Amino acid sequence: MDVEALEQAALAAVAAASSTDAIEAVRVEYLGRKSELKLALREVRDRETGITLNAARERIEGAVGAREAELERAELDRRLAEESVDVTLPVGGHERGHLHLITQIRREVEDVFLGLGYRVVDGREVETTRYNFDGLNFPPGHPARSPLATLFLDEDTLLRTETSPSQVRTMEAQQPPVYIVSLGRVYRRDTPDATHTPVFHQVEGLAVDEGITLGDLTGTLDFLLKALFGAERRTEFRTHYFPFTEPSIEAYVSCHVCDGAGCAVCRHSGWIEVGGAGMVDPKLYEFVGYDSERYSGFAFGWGLERIAMLRHEFPDLRELWRNDLRFARQF
Amino acid sequence: MKVPVTWLREYVETAASAHELARRLSISATEVERVIDAGVPDVDGNLGHFVVGRVLAAEAHPNADRLQLCQVDVGNPDPQQIVCGAWNFGVGATVAVGLPGARLPGFPGPLEERLLRGEVSRGMILAEDEVGLGPDHSGIMLLSDGLEPGTPLGDVLPLVDQVLDVTPTMNRPDLLSMVGIAREAAALCDGGLRLPDPEEPSATGAEPVEVAVEDFGGCPRYIGRGFRNVRVGPSPQWLRARLHLAGMRSISNVVDVTNYVMHVWGSPLHAFDRSKLAGGRIVVRRARPGETLRTLDGTVRELVPGDLLITDGERAVALAAIMGGLDSEVSEQTTEVLLEAANFEPIGILRTSERLSLRTEGSNRWEKGVDPYAAAPAAALASRMLVDLAGAEPAGSVDVNDGLPKRPVVTLRPERASALIGLDVPADEQRAILERLDFVVDDGWRVTVPTFRARDVTREIDVVEEVARVVLDRVPLTMPLRRAVAGHLTPEQLFRRSLEDVLVGAGFSEAYTWSLTPSDPDPSALRLPDPMSGEHAVLRTTLRHGLVEAARVNVDAGNEPIRLFELARVYLPSGEQLPRERWRLGGITEGGFAAARGAVEAIYEASHLPLDVRRITLGHLHPGKAAETDAGWLGELHPTLLEGAWGVFELDVADLMAPLPERILYEDVITFPAVRQDVAVAVDEEVEAGAIVAVVHEAGGAELREARVFDVYHGEQVGEGRKSVALHLVFQAPDRTLTDEEAAAVRDRIVAALAERFGAELRA
Ligand SMILES: [Zn+2]
Repeated sequence: MDVEALEQAALAAVAAASSTDAIEAVRVEYLGRKSELKLALREVRDRETGITLNAARERIEGAVGAREAELERAELDRRLAEESVDVTLPVGGHERGHLHLITQIRREVEDVFLGLGYRVVDGREVETTRYNFDGLNFPPGHPARSPLATLFLDEDTLLRTETSPSQVRTMEAQQPPVYIVSLGRVYRRDTPDATHTPVFHQVEGLAVDEGITLGDLTGTLDFLLKALFGAERRTEFRTHYFPFTEPSIEAYVSCHVCDGAGCAVCRHSGWIEVGGAGMVDPKLYEFVGYDSERYSGFAFGWGLERIAMLRHEFPDLRELWRNDLRFARQF
Repeated sequence: MKVPVTWLREYVETAASAHELARRLSISATEVERVIDAGVPDVDGNLGHFVVGRVLAAEAHPNADRLQLCQVDVGNPDPQQIVCGAWNFGVGATVAVGLPGARLPGFPGPLEERLLRGEVSRGMILAEDEVGLGPDHSGIMLLSDGLEPGTPLGDVLPLVDQVLDVTPTMNRPDLLSMVGIAREAAALCDGGLRLPDPEEPSATGAEPVEVAVEDFGGCPRYIGRGFRNVRVGPSPQWLRARLHLAGMRSISNVVDVTNYVMHVWGSPLHAFDRSKLAGGRIVVRRARPGETLRTLDGTVRELVPGDLLITDGERAVALAAIMGGLDSEVSEQTTEVLLEAANFEPIGILRTSERLSLRTEGSNRWEKGVDPYAAAPAAALASRMLVDLAGAEPAGSVDVNDGLPKRPVVTLRPERASALIGLDVPADEQRAILERLDFVVDDGWRVTVPTFRARDVTREIDVVEEVARVVLDRVPLTMPLRRAVAGHLTPEQLFRRSLEDVLVGAGFSEAYTWSLTPSDPDPSALRLPDPMSGEHAVLRTTLRHGLVEAARVNVDAGNEPIRLFELARVYLPSGEQLPRERWRLGGITEGGFAAARGAVEAIYEASHLPLDVRRITLGHLHPGKAAETDAGWLGELHPTLLEGAWGVFELDVADLMAPLPERILYEDVITFPAVRQDVAVAVDEEVEAGAIVAVVHEAGGAELREARVFDVYHGEQVGEGRKSVALHLVFQAPDRTLTDEEAAAVRDRIVAALAERFGAELRA
């Protein structure tokens, strides 16, 4: 038998094989149990012939193996190419819902203050006039005490008009230091329109400790406003009046839409009024039994809806209560 | 309140621009909503086109009946020919002229020389509305005769002005006055203050004015002044212009004077036609039952005891502090005037004005508290003006009061002020700030409060605020020291957040619905005695109503899929003053009972709570698809409440949370392999899966780790009235590998128990 010729023929067949099936046929023909080479090897008697035949067999096996790997890879590549899909086609199937926009802002505010070391207090919504007015130094005859402004259940019971009663309750329950925020629903007798709803949400903040200053208040509000409206915002504080704080201020943030140049959102002033704040009036300390010479503190109460409206520029507050999913899904 | 800046500058001398004034005031004194540009456009040279003119000739236009052809001296050698459509003037009238080139408010381009019916018109004789000085267009403005033709009109009228729109807080009624704003502007912008201080006209032929105050609590001061030979007529143009810029309507010289002086001093005045007062005297008293008064607006007001009245001794002539009476109103025929410059206490005024739904410029000031000292300079200024503008002759004056209040004295510790503000404000600076604001500070830091701040500043902290507001924009931004804090959510707050997240993950969107509903299933639910509307009348004890309405909104909008939840409070009557407020988690979802059940399963599973569901009946649920858990209910909404198959549920958060373990203990489910087997049993139709699983667990014992129904099959093979329930069972022991025999034994126990309890037949 002509080993050399056989090897040449085998290698030519390997080269010619164009599929994994073809290379398998080549393997069977040249290396299979009944192949000429295997038969010859079985009958070999002398060492030299054996070495020659085995060397040829190894070379053919090597060539078959290499070609087989090559062909397998080519076939895999071809199959993968055929499996190509339109990756731009949506499949769905995991539709999530959406937290209400006010819940999202509520959590943001809570997280800011949790990070600053404040507790979150759940106040109650049905309150007594004692906590809603008396403890907050609303004088008799104050317009807020009128049933034209406030929803009463009876003479002494009402739906809280601000989150501030939770301040009084918290201070009554513990001595300073107090660092809390309280967020939730508040109620006023306002006819619903684009900027009023009889139910809305406030965040109340209260810090009472030794050595708390007006600067601590403005610093804290500056931190919060930048967290809500962007680190590049500027803040400004203007004098104001509330029965439960003295001095009182109103917080402003530079307009996030025009950055102070003036636009419709800021009514061309460059500034946006966010809400009221102030140093806790000593009368409140008297009411809860704190030593107003030793302790000082600040408080603020802001509307969450206002923050939402300013930040997302939607025109009508009532959308927050209509629960149309087309609105909810945007946030 | 509207503060025209040209007017303000009469009282305070400062180089600050209107916008600078607005900024200083808004930081340290009062909100300034905006700065309004008023009058003619203040563009290059525009003011030069407006001059005083004198009409030299006026005749009918040859080609137009309704026009006049005028020759007007505007200070040039030659008169100016102007065509004019007004007829309220004649030769010799002093008028306001806009020359060609003048720009008028609301006109796109400048005035031009033009032909009007064949005659050239070089400019315009102006009506007040054409230059933003008033609402009137019935005729042109007539100016005082003493003015020289050619005088710049801007020197005579506030032709270009800016108006500060200020809204003082309720503790600062003193800022509802030009004088109050001027004081602050002077203090904050380092300006010179020149308050109006007219020469008091001397009374001629003193006639006593008789005033009796029966209720000094309501009326601590009443200055009454009589005037004779008053000539009621229109106000001069400058006064009309000022009132217009201040947002008031000109009525007549006498009424305009009272409004003008109220704007100057913040102390409202009233003018009576004295001849209409029986006996010409004034008695201030509370109303008697059944009394009525026809007020200036023509309405007859029913009075109740407690309403404070001005009477003429016989009948009511004014609702004190709120509105005058119609019968004693000053009219064109009036020649005798009684001027009231009084002071009223706030208590009671709001009550009366709210009851009568009658709020006026006057009541708005009185209900906040007006300085009783302001009545005197107001009376003086008004008297001067009545003399000057209406030719009035003063005839008697009286000032009835029960002693004016003393100025509060407060001791200030300047170091305390610095400590509270967080800025070291030197004591000298604090003293200077207070003195500029009209406080008197003695060497011992005893601070005497000015009369116009006496209601508001009574304690040291109030004085600290006076310092703080002036230095407000210098206060450094700092953070509290926070030596002891506890920044974490409570377990319940964390749990509520996780509930929200679970439902959002399950495709539910969060709804916010009203706490007040039209009705509530609980008849004892708290009801507002005086609700805003029937829609918001009852404090809800369930979230259901709001969620159904929210679903309806989305059905109507064609939205899908509709899955909504709400996590909010309900208000359960407690028998005590305050209801129990409970957090509830409610949901509504398309897909009927199964969808509600799926959501509830997700909630329990995420919370690591075992879910035990029992059949119940609830009026608002489908009778065959209603169930309860330990924390609430779930089911399919009764189709009468909303069309379609809606899954609904409501769980009480505290009840849901109650069985939550403090921590979860590890169980070894990894070391020893589990044996899994599926078993199907045939049972009667009415046997519920929950009951089967309960029996399986009872019979399976410790080695049964899990039992779950994965299929329920009805069909011929099972037979009429029967069903096949397929269970997936997992056997596992924590301490050894269960042998096949052990597993088989447990399985047999289970099958036997099911057979005994439900007559179950093993199917596979
Ligand atoms: Zn802007």
